[in-house]
Amino acid sequence: MAGLTAAVRLAEAGLRVVTVAKGLGSLRLAPATVDILGYAPGRVDSPASALPGFVAAHPHHPYAAITPGVLADSLRWLAEHVQAYAYVGDASANMLLSTAIGVPRPSAVVPETMAGGDIRSLRSVAIAGLRALKDFHPALAAENLRAAAAADGMAIEARPVMLSPPTDGEADVGTLGFARRFEDAGFRRAFAAELRAALRDEQAVGIPAVLGFDQVRSVWTELQEAIGRPVFEIPTMPPSVPGMRLARALQERLRRAGGRFVLGAEAVGPEIRDGKLAGVRIRAGNRETARLARWVVLATGGLASGGIQVDLGGTATEPALGLPVFGPGPGEPAFLPGYLGEHPMGTVGLRVDGRLRPVGQDGEPVRPNLVAAGAVIGGARPWREKSGDGISLSTGYLAAGTILEDAG
Amino acid sequence: MTSAAISSAQAAGQPARPGRADGRIDCEVLVIGGGSTGAGVARDAAMRGFSTVLVERADMATGTTGRFHGLLHSGGRYVVKDPKAAEECIGENIILRRIADDTIEDTGGLFVTTPIDDPGYADKFIQGCKATGIEVQEIGVGEALRREPRLNPRISRALVVPDATVDAWKMVWSCVRSARQYGATVLPYHEVISVIRDGSRVAGAVVRGPDGELRIRAEVVINAAGAWAGKIAAMAGCEVNVRPGKGIMVATNHRLVNTVVNRCEMPADGDILVPIRTVSVIGTTDTLVDDPDDWPITRQEIDEMLTAGENLVPGFRESRTLRVWGGVRPLFQDSGPAETRDVTRAHAVLDHRARDGVEAFLTITGGKFCTYRLMAQDAVDAACGVLGTSRPCRTADEALPDSGEQRFYRIGSRLAGRERTLHDEQLICECELVRRGALEDAMARRGAASLDDIRRALRLGMGPCQGGFCTYRATGILHQQTNLSAVAANRALLEFLQERWKGVHPLLHGDQLRQAWLDDWIFQGVLDVEHLPLADQERARV
Repeated sequence: MAGLTAAVRLAEAGLRVVTVAKGLGSLRLAPATVDILGYAPGRVDSPASALPGFVAAHPHHPYAAITPGVLADSLRWLAEHVQAYAYVGDASANMLLSTAIGVPRPSAVVPETMAGGDIRSLRSVAIAGLRALKDFHPALAAENLRAAAAADGMAIEARPVMLSPPTDGEADVGTLGFARRFEDAGFRRAFAAELRAALRDEQAVGIPAVLGFDQVRSVWTELQEAIGRPVFEIPTMPPSVPGMRLARALQERLRRAGGRFVLGAEAVGPEIRDGKLAGVRIRAGNRETARLARWVVLATGGLASGGIQVDLGGTATEPALGLPVFGPGPGEPAFLPGYLGEHPMGTVGLRVDGRLRPVGQDGEPVRPNLVAAGAVIGGARPWREKSGDGISLSTGYLAAGTILEDAG
Repeated sequence: MTSAAISSAQAAGQPARPGRADGRIDCEVLVIGGGSTGAGVARDAAMRGFSTVLVERADMATGTTGRFHGLLHSGGRYVVKDPKAAEECIGENIILRRIADDTIEDTGGLFVTTPIDDPGYADKFIQGCKATGIEVQEIGVGEALRREPRLNPRISRALVVPDATVDAWKMVWSCVRSARQYGATVLPYHEVISVIRDGSRVAGAVVRGPDGELRIRAEVVINAAGAWAGKIAAMAGCEVNVRPGKGIMVATNHRLVNTVVNRCEMPADGDILVPIRTVSVIGTTDTLVDDPDDWPITRQEIDEMLTAGENLVPGFRESRTLRVWGGVRPLFQDSGPAETRDVTRAHAVLDHRARDGVEAFLTITGGKFCTYRLMAQDAVDAACGVLGTSRPCRTADEALPDSGEQRFYRIGSRLAGRERTLHDEQLICECELVRRGALEDAMARRGAASLDDIRRALRLGMGPCQGGFCTYRATGILHQQTNLSAVAANRALLEFLQERWKGVHPLLHGDQLRQAWLDDWIFQGVLDVEHLPLADQERARV
């Protein structure tokens, strides 16, 4: 997400942009909600209000480089750049949206198809599952949602409904398989009829996020009309249909702005000429070439994406450009015995200055024409803080901003 | 049920069943410990017509039995150093292939002389095999490399022996099923809290289970608690010096070899590479520890295993390592300290009447997985002595359930089954090919709220993603299938994640770290399990 955001913004500003990627990236696995800050460590109601204090307590957090203005601009930018449907919400308040296991999760900016699930505005919901979808268990989600809401002082009735729309005899249909089926009118009609018959007087219906790809808006609207009440999507584990919608939208934007996207190309080192960063060495297949560029944005992701790697001795490296990495030192514990512990290795990554230029131990930028964006920057615990796509979007946006400033 | 009633039941040809009333069970033989030895003893005793109860503090096969590399020794490992152990191994290897083929993969074994080994050992090895009755055949290095292309090409000799691999959990549960068919009562999750003494004799034990305390009165008590046997013996007022010898193992994400590969050298650390089910396991170490329940695994030990693996299969260090775990061998020695590798791997039955003046109490300890059946036979023979009767052992002749037709497990068995049901049934664990029906059956059969118990039955979550994708699905199914409350299902999920993490975090690096972080993204990012509703006391535990 960080890389595509920077690439689209730069290409639309008229720069010649090439995005090289080893794989399709983690955006296709992401729920595609833009979580800005959900826990710090208590639950956050307003990210905008909480961020100044949070950044003061975490000076090496990527948000230290993000001003409220940049954050707001990046959110507006995203909403303008996704055509398939609207992104709603802003940094002033978090919604509380059920996860696929029924935990109310704080999220600031989300697709319109999810926003109706804010449990603070609901008193009774049906949670609808699909029998052939093993990645969504409505009974567990509904029971947890009731219990979690009650613990929070909210009374919400959540009733599970299991539906069996036609799947041509397939017992095991994934989220992508259902999203494709939802783009078929006959399937939609059968699904809506079955759902309508299963509902009682619930205010709204939560269903797994599989309501089609590019046609999501019409699928969602049609379904709400057919059952006469709001429908909200609930993100599932990977692969993620909302993540694919977002990735497709940004890639299409990049294409239209004249940017190139080269897949299967791995950055394996800096191209240094006259002592300056002149580009990146790229390996595609068994061929290694230099790709020259005036500016380089590094958005290779964190530990989950391979943008930061750790060897058995506990030494962390940044393999694309060999940049300085900040994390627990050799011999220090990297991981704690408790699964939910605050593992020291969890915040590993690059450090950046206020313009997102990676810095060395001395705090000075390593290269004047190199910026970093997204999870390759350390200092955050994105999944615990619920800050992941907020960091990726805002740093991707700012990385482009730094280059545009320098380009004049 | 009184002894008289038991005898009359036997006379009528019925299985001898322990009598059970409120909070109390009466039986002839009480077995303490649900590892391979205890399960073997329970089966053996029940088959001989004794009313039998087995108690285990956790799930079956969760101590040493469930924590080894899965090697069914030919005995080759011991031919030079411990010929008695070697003889026992090959004898039992032949019997188990006959009675437990469903649990065994007939991989065969290779002993190879690597560059760091004494080239002369191979000749001693061949002599030792001949002396102990182990079939051995030398093959050329080229032939060995043809069979196992990833093997170190610098080996100088290669010897073929009948090693195999075995699914220990399946073996133990097969024994339990058989024992139950013969009337035995098998009680996992029942921990001994005291041993009942009746004057100079042991008369049973008080155990604590999920439904409270049970008093189990028995005519003879067999302590088969393995590395924990000293603790049980102490409760009966006897001293048994079982020294827990820790061994660690590391699993890679696929099979690097399809034959068990051993270094042809005196037993040492990290000299065995075992292809078991979908993974390869390098093992092991041997370090004395004080407490069988509390010992660390260090990065240095892990590093030694990877270096040792490199010697057998070049490039081993670069392979993706899934998990590390350790088990504690019950090394029995009546007196004096010694290096652990010098302690015999043979087993011992202790009759505490002669040794400590305590009657009706036996301890079976030492030994190893491959000889569990023989250990059980010796223990039940001794119990016959205590009970003043003589009944022959039949466990070597009667096959375990689902075995007896020489149909060994094959690596492709599960895949072949799944290909047949691909469109009709959900695949819940893609790594280990666990189908939904099998999961639901296991949950119903076990009535257990522990996903880890299900894992041992089905290998759920044991593959490359280490539970990343199947854990949520399995929790949802557990919640539905067993009418579990959501807070109990949540607890099961968090406990399973913790159990998986336990074996993952000590060696987390490289590609497996990337996988673990993706898993965290799912659990902490997408699902937010950190904020799952739990009962208050459970929140404190997690």
